Amino acid sequence: MLVSDIKSRPVYERLGVDASGRRHLVVSDAPRPLAEVIDGADAADTPLGYWVVAATSAVDARPQAEPAPSNATPGNAAPVERRAFRAVPHLLDRLSHRLAQETVGFRLYAVGEEGFVWNVAKLAREAGLEAAECRTAHAGSLRRRVFCVHCKTITEDVTTSLAACDGCGAHLVVRDHFSRHLAAFMGVQADAEAPGELPPVEELFP
Amino acid sequence: MTIQFKPDETFRDEFSYSNSDAAVLRFPFPFPEDAYMYSVNIEPHVRGGASPAFDNPFDVDEHYVAECRERAKVLEQDPSRCKVLPHMMAAEWDTLELIMESFATSYPEHFTLTRDGTNWTWENRPLGIRDSFTFGDASTLPLPPFEYITRQAQGDFTLQDQREDNLFVDGGMVTTQADWSLDFDVGMTFHQWHGPVPLAHQKGVFDRALKFLLRLQYGAPVRRLNWTMTVNPRLDTSPENYPQWGPDRLTLTPENIGRKLHLRVELQSLFRLPRSNAILFGIRCYLCSIEDLVRVEVWGKRLHRVLRDLHPEIADYKGTTRYRDMAVAYLAPFDDGAELPAGTAPRQSALAQRS
Repeated sequence: MLVSDIKSRPVYERLGVDASGRRHLVVSDAPRPLAEVIDGADAADTPLGYWVVAATSAVDARPQAEPAPSNATPGNAAPVERRAFRAVPHLLDRLSHRLAQETVGFRLYAVGEEGFVWNVAKLAREAGLEAAECRTAHAGSLRRRVFCVHCKTITEDVTTSLAACDGCGAHLVVRDHFSRHLAAFMGVQADAEAPGELPPVEELFP
Repeated sequence: MTIQFKPDETFRDEFSYSNSDAAVLRFPFPFPEDAYMYSVNIEPHVRGGASPAFDNPFDVDEHYVAECRERAKVLEQDPSRCKVLPHMMAAEWDTLELIMESFATSYPEHFTLTRDGTNWTWENRPLGIRDSFTFGDASTLPLPPFEYITRQAQGDFTLQDQREDNLFVDGGMVTTQADWSLDFDVGMTFHQWHGPVPLAHQKGVFDRALKFLLRLQYGAPVRRLNWTMTVNPRLDTSPENYPQWGPDRLTLTPENIGRKLHLRVELQSLFRLPRSNAILFGIRCYLCSIEDLVRVEVWGKRLHRVLRDLHPEIADYKGTTRYRDMAVAYLAPFDDGAELPAGTAPRQSALAQRS
């Protein structure tokens, strides 16, 4: 049942600043050095923002402009505007307002766990961005969001091949079939044919 | 020709569905050869061919009324089986026009469409429907146009939007499916929604099929057959209700398998739509018990060979693993091993008596 080479599972490449963009925003679900998550940020001559989730109430999301790095091409690089957010919903809420104001030439980059990056992509799509204008990369835990095909509940933070659904309690097999709209993998009851007949649980998505 | 409908047959609970002899003989048998492997088996959807089921754009048969009633039951429980993204309204009207025009032309004794500019009147006598509405104005119909008309048709339908050199499944009416979920797949690209199919990706089947479909022309629909097997004549083998139908697979015995195990064939048809440039994908499901199939000599022999030699990954994907050996054992006595002609025609005009 757990087919391993399903083609809807996203394949990620390292992010690079899109030279055709006029404004760039990188969002990350954890503090990471900017150069670690995207290539070309230090040479970009167009405004770039970097928003991260700091996971603390001590930050307030105010913009903190920083001068161009000293090793940047002289007279070329634009300053990076940084913001730190308290949690993922805090960042997504602010992002939805930013997207509502954006116009042609905007490029969005999301890096983090799969649930996060595809939630960002969904906001971008709803705001009218083309697929190529929002790029995603994976970083951090491989744990999955799992959509129960039977009761439509999404169970978060699944690290194992089998997981109990938060909604109906069914023991779900986590398939590799991934929906970008739901930002979740499909979960199907493992013992539907013979109740109680369950395969061993494996830790697959640490 | 007037079709004798069987409005009270059921696809759940007591499973009173059955095929008349004539319905068995027109079954779109899917195996032209003794071995089965995935391929882009697409051909023009034109009149003629091995089964009368191919004679009209949308086939209507003796199960029409019962299938529409079954669809209504599924939608009452789970309205999300019909979902169309908001940008697909032009494709909804395209679908309504195509199905109404086709039904009225193919089966004038049962369906009538009267057009006076945008003032249309639709009569569906088997279902007792008569509605006048303004084409293009959804407020004049009791339901959104796509749901309205696909509730009156057999088989599932999906709408594919074409953009970015790809097809996106941006809508559908899916109540008679072989274990896939529209609610989960809606909005996916061609390769994404076919993600779970084994082997075919590596063979390049989906790359070639997508290239072909992107060039599909208005007025030149195409078709292909697909198949699986289903225990009991159950139309709603959805992943949503897998906890309800999954246990059926353990109810098979050597004594009942001939009656309970059904070959499930999908007559898949693809139509370019004129206003939206979307593609309408029809997935018409036919069910026939294996005890009825063996009453056609060449079909019984061929089904035995295909099942016996099926690639294990395909057998598993089609959900046959638990009962395949039992089915092969049931079919073996009907197969003398004689060489069979290529093709799917029944090659007999009446069914053999049940053994």
